[in-house]
Amino acid sequence: MDVASINSNAEEFAIGCFLSIKTTFGDEFKGQVVAFDRPSNFLVLHILFGGGRKNVRILKANYIKELAFLGQGDDPVDLSKCCLDLSTLQAREELALRQAEAEAERIGVGVTAEAQNLFDALSKTLPVRWDKTVIVVMNEVRVNSPYVPESVSGGTPAANERVKKVLELERRRLHARGGP
Amino acid sequence: MIDAVGGLSGENLRGKGLGEPVPGSNRGLKSLLRMSVQQFAQPNSSANGYGRREVEREGASRVDNKLHSVKSSIGKMANTHYSSGNKFGGFGGASRDRLVYFSTCLIGHHVEIQVKNGSVYTGIFHAANVDRDFGIILKMAHLTKDMSAQLQNTHTDSLGKAFSKTLIVPAKDLVQIVAKDVSVTRDEISNEYQSERQRELLIDSYISRARPDDMERELKPWVPEDNDPHCAELENLFDDHWKSRGWDQFEVNEALFGVKSTFNEELYTTKLERGPRMRQLELEASRIAKEIEREDTRDLHLAEERGINLPESEDVDEETRFSSVYRGRVADDSGYEEEEDILLDIRNGETFDDAASSVIEKVFSGIAGGIDSDDSLLSSRSSMDVPQVSQSKDSANALSSKVPDINDRLLLPDRPTTLSQSDGEIRFQRTITDPHRANTDTSDGDQQKPVPHPKFSGVLKADDSVSSSGGHDDCHNGDGKGGSSSKVTTSTSSQVSMKEQSKKNPTGDQLETQGIPGEKLSVESHGRPGSSVSSTSDRPGRASASAGAGLTPSSSVGSLSSEKSMLNPNTKEFKLNPNAKSFVPSQAPVRPISPVGDSSFYFHANLSGMPQMHGMPVGVGLGPYVAHQPVIFNPQVAPVQSPQAYLPPAGPHYGQPMLIGHPRPFSYGPGFSPEMPYKGREF
Repeated sequence: MDVASINSNAEEFAIGCFLSIKTTFGDEFKGQVVAFDRPSNFLVLHILFGGGRKNVRILKANYIKELAFLGQGDDPVDLSKCCLDLSTLQAREELALRQAEAEAERIGVGVTAEAQNLFDALSKTLPVRWDKTVIVVMNEVRVNSPYVPESVSGGTPAANERVKKVLELERRRLHARGGP
Repeated sequence: MIDAVGGLSGENLRGKGLGEPVPGSNRGLKSLLRMSVQQFAQPNSSANGYGRREVEREGASRVDNKLHSVKSSIGKMANTHYSSGNKFGGFGGASRDRLVYFSTCLIGHHVEIQVKNGSVYTGIFHAANVDRDFGIILKMAHLTKDMSAQLQNTHTDSLGKAFSKTLIVPAKDLVQIVAKDVSVTRDEISNEYQSERQRELLIDSYISRARPDDMERELKPWVPEDNDPHCAELENLFDDHWKSRGWDQFEVNEALFGVKSTFNEELYTTKLERGPRMRQLELEASRIAKEIEREDTRDLHLAEERGINLPESEDVDEETRFSSVYRGRVADDSGYEEEEDILLDIRNGETFDDAASSVIEKVFSGIAGGIDSDDSLLSSRSSMDVPQVSQSKDSANALSSKVPDINDRLLLPDRPTTLSQSDGEIRFQRTITDPHRANTDTSDGDQQKPVPHPKFSGVLKADDSVSSSGGHDDCHNGDGKGGSSSKVTTSTSSQVSMKEQSKKNPTGDQLETQGIPGEKLSVESHGRPGSSVSSTSDRPGRASASAGAGLTPSSSVGSLSSEKSMLNPNTKEFKLNPNAKSFVPSQAPVRPISPVGDSSFYFHANLSGMPQMHGMPVGVGLGPYVAHQPVIFNPQVAPVQSPQAYLPPAGPHYGQPMLIGHPRPFSYGPGFSPEMPYKGREF
């Protein structure tokens, strides 16, 4: 009942064997076959790093440009341990979604990388949010493009001053490090 | 589409049949998916794969476009699962099963998708259609690498990181999915999830870690070179080497700057009686100290300090190991934890009402104790004069008596002394070992002979004051456990969370606060307001031998240096005078408070213990501001309230020290007026 025995093509995709693959897009990697689904032609590979970490690649076999067989190994998957807890997965997903959404809010849409860097720098010490392409600090002070100290407006004079100062220092720091 | 395969392991897949009507909308689909999935997760003994499949099929037909095959796919999957037997293994239909399994492992994971045209999207894996071909859905996806023809300009200013909430990639477009650090077994997944959840809470470190591109240089941990002569010096800064060199900073300061030190040790600690017995006491104390310092501990930081190498210390990162506060429940050296929590609660609930009292009792239960209100003479004065102290016999330290394991620490070997002082060094953590031992109501009349604590006794022997209640066989509660009212706490020990609270003392005689930081054995008994009406407390139940709570072997606290831990026999008892006038300043010139923006406010951590004073002039009239300079705070007036954050005005420096000398005891906090009648306090 081995897939490998069914088809010579599939033989190369026997579970546990090590392959080196190059895709049509130029990606190269080495991995160990964990699963292969012939109907959909998807290959699942484990790419192992040191320290027990592994990447999983699910690749459509159509896009394999080059294939080299490196050796045969055992099934890397321990079937007895393979059970999944649905609720954990869902919870994990929700957690990831929450984090992603929070992240998304920090990214400005249609802003330059420089602006984004400035935003990130400001957000380390001040509450900032995006309003289209305007950085809004403490809900009061607005910084428009091109995000120079002169383009700071609004807020109390003290807050304004502060934002100007921070902005200036951040710019200097970014330039000093050769940032964009 | 499979949202999540409910438990691909054998049993779990036997879900019940789905008979729900299909909402027929995309949104409904999702909920449908969830429903189906959940049902799948429930084991169903009457597994009948075929029947189920049919049911599912009909549901499926009504569903939307790409996702229409949900039901059927689930059914089919279940079916294939069945065909492969209960165990998830073997080939045949299992090849698809494996694919399904791995895709399921990816749910909630960050993945990178490459599509037909070479573009790469990054997002959270949400679902996969494993029915026929392999289409997937990502959530919160954004384009990472754009290879589409029109947007070839990778040099645009714009980041273009628009997030699509849901991204559906049909199978024909999908080339590959890459997921990093995937866990494939259930344990791995839950571990990963747990650590993710923890990480969600560490906001600060998360933030600072989130921008690795901000690092200006690669940080390398410093390792000292061998044979570096300077390194040796770091270890023993205060060794005789330095002293013998003849460097006295005070001399130098005086010579250079004319600064005279006005430090009088006796202001802060008990006066040492340097007499013939001194040496003996010193030895004893240092013996106790060494014993404590050598103690075994499971606490990471303590172990680090003592050089004990805990096995688990290697697995934690540097932050946890050296600096952070452990937030979980860890086996502490004693039953400290719960006690502390309770104590903190007590502290917060300043009003010692009945609710609180029970808590207090519980807290100090370990300390055993019933201290009767009327005679609880637990004066915190370490060097208690015996006659005074002995009264509290009954109250005694039942404290100590109740806690057998720490008993020996708390009691003097051969004399019945009230433990009250004992606590000099009451290190809260150490004392309470058995919170529930409590019931030591004196009412039970049970007395356990307090086992004399050698350590403790050693320290206090000199004073003669300490009296741990040795075997009081007649722990009479006096009048009904009014005792419960008295609660002894130490205000000194840095570790003790209890601060002295200006509590009405039942008999009004114990509030001795030696608010001396660090070493002292100051214990004050607090009466419960209201309940502790002078003598008869109507409270049933045991007196909270709070003393016990705070009790720690005197030597335990690091602050106990051998010579200096003696309780000062001459200190006066602190008697809170509720009728003391608040200080009202004369018309002092008010300094203008400069306008400051949000950012200029800061919290001065040092003075967090500073209570809000009514009418205290700080160079500015009345108000919540207090000087932000270091204050010579008379230690005998311990802060009576939990620290309040305050906002000192940034800018003007208020030149006057706030408290000079011995200020009168004030009652702090809003709402308090000197006229407020104290219940049950007599002066």
